[in-house]
Amino acid sequence: MNDTKIEQALGTAEPRVNTDDALARFQARVQAEGIAPVASVARPRVTSRWLQGLAAAAGVVIVASALTFSGVAGSILQIFEPKTLVAVPITQGDLNYLGQACAGLNLQECMGGYGTFEWTTPPQPKEVTSRSQASAQAGFAVQAPTSVPSSVTGDPRYGVINKSAATFTFSADSTKQTAARQNRTAPPLPANIDGSKLFITGGPAVVQIWGAPSSTATSPGQANPIPTLIVGQAKAPTVSSDGITVDELRGYLLSQPGISPQLAAALRAIGDPSSTLPVPVPAELAVSHPVTVQGVQGLFIGDNTGIAGAVIWQKDGMMFEVIGSFTESQAIAIANSMR
Amino acid sequence: MTLPARDPGKVVAAVSPAFEGLFRAEYARVVGIAHRVLADQAEAEDVAQDVFLSFFRGHPANAPYARAWLHAATAHAALNALRGRDRRSRREAAQAVPLEATAAEDPVVTVVASETREEVRAVLARLPERSAAMLALRYAGLSYAEIAAALDVRASSVGTLLRRAEDAFRRELR
Repeated sequence: MNDTKIEQALGTAEPRVNTDDALARFQARVQAEGIAPVASVARPRVTSRWLQGLAAAAGVVIVASALTFSGVAGSILQIFEPKTLVAVPITQGDLNYLGQACAGLNLQECMGGYGTFEWTTPPQPKEVTSRSQASAQAGFAVQAPTSVPSSVTGDPRYGVINKSAATFTFSADSTKQTAARQNRTAPPLPANIDGSKLFITGGPAVVQIWGAPSSTATSPGQANPIPTLIVGQAKAPTVSSDGITVDELRGYLLSQPGISPQLAAALRAIGDPSSTLPVPVPAELAVSHPVTVQGVQGLFIGDNTGIAGAVIWQKDGMMFEVIGSFTESQAIAIANSMR
Repeated sequence: MTLPARDPGKVVAAVSPAFEGLFRAEYARVVGIAHRVLADQAEAEDVAQDVFLSFFRGHPANAPYARAWLHAATAHAALNALRGRDRRSRREAAQAVPLEATAAEDPVVTVVASETREEVRAVLARLPERSAAMLALRYAGLSYAEIAAALDVRASSVGTLLRRAEDAFRRELR
């Protein structure tokens, strides 16, 4: 069948519409149902939901990375680059503690209470159609599993997130005002931290998704299927500072009301925080333990039901993750087949 | 549901001039996309009304993505409506619409064409969502750039994705 025949097969007589009548029907319905329009401020284009999820995940990882500090004072110095991963159990109690500390503020407002977070290069996920395109845009060789369980079928979709950068500037005034709004007294911000900056980078990153939702824009009433396998690969995030006394900074942040004493103790227990990425794991829902993947130490995280598992590891300056409805041995086998 | 038409002059404006402009500019195109999928003008117009209402509820009329949103939402809403039809109503709808490509008056030709049309709609309903949406948008006359904007893919990828969708369509139709 050629294009003309498809045209004929899909062809229907062009409808002759009466737009005036249609508009009148629309107006009548709006009035009858009392429907109000939204305010006339344009919102950003809603992109693919799964790509939005990637952007959010990338943002969270980049911001979370900034919570791990070490190193020494200097001019511009790199203070964090993950080389190993460690699971940090986050309990419901920790989340409640954080919720109370933010007193109803959303996470961005809560974080913003300590200073100004600005994207200098925001993460902009986009879809490409092949692994080679993903490699070209990310600037590194994208690895893919050479062996997957039979439950994983079809071709993956490829998402690429550009190298992103952000600056966080600490502000004593913001901290005081935020605390005052919450009727709290924040620990005083050391003078040498006030106005100091953190430079945070993340990515580029590539995500391959098998069984991804096929729809892209918002689609009324449509349910999205659950991906069968997600493989992520990214340049390790880094954090640099413009000369903060990092031990002071770390102690200050860990004493903030948003972090429970138990969580702060867990974070403090990390041996080398300049190179260890804490991976938050919901304590009540998931189990985690170190595993060997591709000859290096990684982390397996599984939910307690056994229906979902993830393996995360870091090798040669890259971070990798394999996520899906797999047993631990299946997830590790997929990870070890990455080439 | 199709509400009765009223005299436009007697209806108090319930929408902003910007929304009215968008509606007038895009209504025929939106109905055309739904009609490619459903082959039923009344049903296509119902889908168009629902899509405009969804947009009206959640988005400002001057949003830069308005047209792309409407096109994508229409394709998905029409495909959902198609899948929701029962087989009998699909056949009735198919037979109710004349074919432009076989505008013969021979009733045998018309019946054969209608059966083909029903099968075509069944194939569209079975195709992956993005492939079916891509075909609906393309054969409703959207440009590659408009399809790219609606389905949130790169314009340079539309040709490849469209060929894949057409291949899948041909395979299913055999």
